[in-house]
Amino acid sequence: MRVATDVGGTFTDLVYSVEGQLHTAKVDTTPPDFESGVMNTLDKARLDPKAIEFFAHGSTVIINAITERKGVKTALITTKGFRDVLEIARGNRPDLFNFNFRKPRPFVERYLRLELDERVNYKGELSKEVDLGSLTDLLDFLKAEKVEAIAIAFLHAYINPVNEIATAEAIAKLWPEVSVLASHQISREWREYERTNTTVLSAYIHPVAKTYIESLQARLVDRGFEQPPYLMQSNTGISSVKAVLENPTSMIESGPASGIFAAAWLGNEIDINNLLVLDIGGTTAKCTLIENGEIRVSTDYHIEKTNTDPGYPIQTPVSEIVEIGNGGGSIAWVDEGKKLHVGPQSAGAMPGPAAYGKGGTFPTTTDANLLMGRIDKNNFVGGEVEPDLDAVYKAFEPLEKSLNMSREELARGVVRVANSNMTNALRLVSTNKGHDPREFTLIAFGGGGAMHVVALAEELNIPRVIVPANSAVFSALGMLLTDIRRDYVQTKLLRLDTDGIDEIGSLFDGMQQQAKADFEAEKNNNHTDDAEFHYYLDMRYNGQEHTVKVPASISSAGKFDLSEIATTFHSSHEQRYTYTLDTDIEVVNFHLVAIINVDKPTLARKEATGKKMEATFMHSRQVDFDHHGIHETNVYNGMEMEAGMRLQGPAIIQEPSVTLVISPGHNAEVDNFGNYHVLLRGGQS
Amino acid sequence: MNKDYFTAEVIKDALVAVGEEMFNAMIRTSMSPIIYESNDFAVGATDAKGNLLAQGNGVTAFLAMLDTAVVATLEKYPNKGDINEGDIFITNIPYAGGGSHLSDVVIICPVFFEHELVAFTVNKAHWTEVGGAEPGSVSTRSTEIFQEGLQFNFLKVYENGKINAVLEEIIRSNVRLPDSTMGDMYAGVAAAKVGANRIIELFSKYNRDNVVHAMQELLDYGERMTRAELKKLPKGEFYAEDIIEDDGLGNGPFKICAKVVISEDKILVDYSGTDPQVPGPFNCSFTGLVTGARCIFKAITNPEIPANGGCFRLLEVTCPEGTLISAVAPAPVSIYYESLIAAIDVMWKAMAPVVPDRLPAGHQRSVGATFVSGMHPDTDKFFVMGEPLVGGWGASTKLDGDNGQFCCGNGETYNIPIELFESRYGLQVEQYAFHNEDGGAGEYRGGKGVVLDYRVTSDEAYFTYAATRTESRPWSMDGGQEGSNNYAEIHRHDGDVERHHMCTTVAVKKNELIRVFTASGGGVGDPKKRAREKITSDIKNGYITEEQASLDYGYKAG
Repeated sequence: MRVATDVGGTFTDLVYSVEGQLHTAKVDTTPPDFESGVMNTLDKARLDPKAIEFFAHGSTVIINAITERKGVKTALITTKGFRDVLEIARGNRPDLFNFNFRKPRPFVERYLRLELDERVNYKGELSKEVDLGSLTDLLDFLKAEKVEAIAIAFLHAYINPVNEIATAEAIAKLWPEVSVLASHQISREWREYERTNTTVLSAYIHPVAKTYIESLQARLVDRGFEQPPYLMQSNTGISSVKAVLENPTSMIESGPASGIFAAAWLGNEIDINNLLVLDIGGTTAKCTLIENGEIRVSTDYHIEKTNTDPGYPIQTPVSEIVEIGNGGGSIAWVDEGKKLHVGPQSAGAMPGPAAYGKGGTFPTTTDANLLMGRIDKNNFVGGEVEPDLDAVYKAFEPLEKSLNMSREELARGVVRVANSNMTNALRLVSTNKGHDPREFTLIAFGGGGAMHVVALAEELNIPRVIVPANSAVFSALGMLLTDIRRDYVQTKLLRLDTDGIDEIGSLFDGMQQQAKADFEAEKNNNHTDDAEFHYYLDMRYNGQEHTVKVPASISSAGKFDLSEIATTFHSSHEQRYTYTLDTDIEVVNFHLVAIINVDKPTLARKEATGKKMEATFMHSRQVDFDHHGIHETNVYNGMEMEAGMRLQGPAIIQEPSVTLVISPGHNAEVDNFGNYHVLLRGGQS
Repeated sequence: MNKDYFTAEVIKDALVAVGEEMFNAMIRTSMSPIIYESNDFAVGATDAKGNLLAQGNGVTAFLAMLDTAVVATLEKYPNKGDINEGDIFITNIPYAGGGSHLSDVVIICPVFFEHELVAFTVNKAHWTEVGGAEPGSVSTRSTEIFQEGLQFNFLKVYENGKINAVLEEIIRSNVRLPDSTMGDMYAGVAAAKVGANRIIELFSKYNRDNVVHAMQELLDYGERMTRAELKKLPKGEFYAEDIIEDDGLGNGPFKICAKVVISEDKILVDYSGTDPQVPGPFNCSFTGLVTGARCIFKAITNPEIPANGGCFRLLEVTCPEGTLISAVAPAPVSIYYESLIAAIDVMWKAMAPVVPDRLPAGHQRSVGATFVSGMHPDTDKFFVMGEPLVGGWGASTKLDGDNGQFCCGNGETYNIPIELFESRYGLQVEQYAFHNEDGGAGEYRGGKGVVLDYRVTSDEAYFTYAATRTESRPWSMDGGQEGSNNYAEIHRHDGDVERHHMCTTVAVKKNELIRVFTASGGGVGDPKKRAREKITSDIKNGYITEEQASLDYGYKAG
């Protein structure tokens, strides 16, 4: 039996497969002992841990420890003259006209930022061996200050970490109990602030991550599951406990990454490989783009970044995501200029939308969907809640007055503004990067995905929409389907020419040896023997700064193919930036993706018994389809539907946690795996 | 309200998003570090008459540079048939609309829908090189505009979709790094086209009249939002004056002053009384001045909503022609931004006491632009390094000032990572840290400035530096202490330390050290009133020395 568990902010999900059949369970998340929630899902599903062959786990525990500032007291040791790099950061002030701006506070106070005399130059040559003479005194000071973790970050350690290694080894001897992470273990890329900050955050949460993972492991062992669990990472792969403890920030976006992976996997299964992926939750919507089945993974991620806040950089591989404050719980409000906004403030889980009747007094997107009949008021939150319509009416009243319009008009407007926010986010990942949405399929999941997705596809002229089966636990599902993955990114400047090409080969070769050694050190019986490697280069025209990531092709002779790589670079550059230049090409980063395939469940196909569509009819109700008008609409029970069933909009397909709204003029059908496809404007599959 | 309300809303959001899209396109396409790292550019869209619809800003100091450039283009090409599909215009004339200094080049792209001119997309960016007497086209000692580089007087760089080959050849022949400079131009054209295509899409989708209506509604919305804020401001007359130390040629100091009159329906800023334009390159044109006034106008009304022309209907700026901040041809303007920032600062100084929740005390007030040029020791290729510097911001009534931020004229500006910097220029950076200079003490402390050391590694390099607040200090409020100074030092082989406030291409030999200090911000409130535990924490963290604690704060240990 193969099991995946995902600890989210509100729920802890379980997905497991028995002979290709997927089963799920959902329980409340149990802070601060998150592992108890995991055990509860196993109990709820009556799983015997002894029968588990494979256990994957994702969690928001790491990101929450950072955003709630619940890490440990952390110190930084850095190159003499540069302890303020962490506080100066990049000096940017995105809140341009707010002259009372304050930048985010560094995670290490200035008195805990210590310096050692050392230097490596930009060519990687050691110009000054680290002077460890003062180290004992420094460590005594940090002990007295009750520091629990130390980050080491020296200039140019990405290319030559010798001084970092010497320092880390010396600390391990003098003070073995303290958590120590050096920047070269976290990132081999240049940009000292980004690398230093990532190392600091990794150190800050290292003891928290260690305690959490070890308790989880201990609880599993108690129940008789002896294998170490696999942990979901932001790079869309799973990894060993050992790898995650070497860099806990690698888990930071495990949930979203897993959902993205599941989308790519599903696309591959049904042979649709150009996908726009949208996950609409309670407070935010996240989106990304998958082209030719390739998930984009890069290292320029930030947490807590907004239009007005620079946030904190995380220089670790994260699947590219654009996130906006626009989910089911997003609050609608009118500003002093009489403009209607939706989000980014959210009613959250508590009090939640007004309709929940838990004291919410602000109108939300969910409330608007309810008023429009898109959400079934007789089956609200899977039938568990009687919607408090009076509270909804009351919440809308001030806005009706302020804009002088009816409740119906306003509800329509809230949904339209929410859709416009999401459309702009989808444009950021598509048109903004040179992709035409019309060539993509939009796949949507999360609580609100199915509700809005057809309207968004109309807006962007996307021909096909998919709402996957199991969309409520899609993220956990991804963990069950992904492979063991490690990303290695190394900054090394190199001219792309005949001399350079040999060096590319030898550099990747070295990285590959490292990957093999790392895998060997964590080997267990889930591993197949051979690692699979994918090679990418971050390249630019000489003189530019920003790079394009392109796959490095290998010729039939087994060597990196210079002309093929250059051709791919030119065309990728043109796609993204609209032009090419007749200038030298420079390689900046080498990116090796190393994968060990794990056995995965083969998902069973959904059976077709020849049941008639009409047999799944639930009821009909008035639904407001915005500019398509208000229609008496047939509602079908998705739980009863089977492969091959087709219907035409206006229609609604309903499951306890999914409401798929299909406007007039579009066709829908169920595929062999139980996924819903909507073909816009009368399209046929 | 009718049902078109929401269609207009969606179009308005989409128009604002066009600004963001062009902004990203510009960052990604540019070849100049000063554009892609410092984001020294702005992008935007106007309606067919040049009213600003949306602007994506990298820096604050371009806030009046896009719409005025379009208006000036329309003035120069007033007849039907003057502006055609496939035309793209270029200007960098300082004294006309869109003008600042020659390095900042504006690209203007008319947008046509069904053969009707319906909008413009426009951007302005700091190019690597536009020729002139000095590498990098920045001079602290020019006496005429002609020494500062090429002038593009609203020319068609593309005509009917074809690049103007003559103009391209002229540019290539007159700049030091032709590939970089042309790269900057392509980046501007690409970004403008991205925006133009999106606007055309909007017109096709929602039809002409709906989009034109939404454009007007967007401007009216900006006005409504601003009017609501204006109501909350105290009415009256507020005045401040200050100095600019030097014009680059050793003349000065010069007076700059602002009178702000807030009435029920507008804010008037009158800069009369400011000294006449100067012989050196510190002159700023009237367009620059309007930008400066718009910045503070935005800061004290509504910093959150996207800037558009409607917001600025409630702002009036006046200044007699020919002053330091309303200069006319052929005044040299290379370092115009320092005077522009001083114009922002003096209006800020007038308003801070009345809107203390929006404005802190004075900050470093200088880009502190530092340029080093020379031959890279590895490649023997000529390089020009130019970067702005972070400094200390002023305290507010309840918060200490921010440490190490770019000045108010910057914004989404990034410092160059040391690891990239050293690799790109071969210079060695030996220190990037907060300094311990006196200044900024207060119940709320001014933010810290930095000290930055560059060691020269090639046989010889050339150092150019320009700043203000080199003798005057960032202003304080309510009994706080003024901040510290901006200045540079060259540490020579013979032990000599030269102090510079302004210099152009001073030769520095191998292994000599260039050290730059940026000012700390002004304090707010009597330092003696600062909470004792804050002083203890400041000492522990090294934000103040024990000596400063005792002298400035009257702090006694124990």
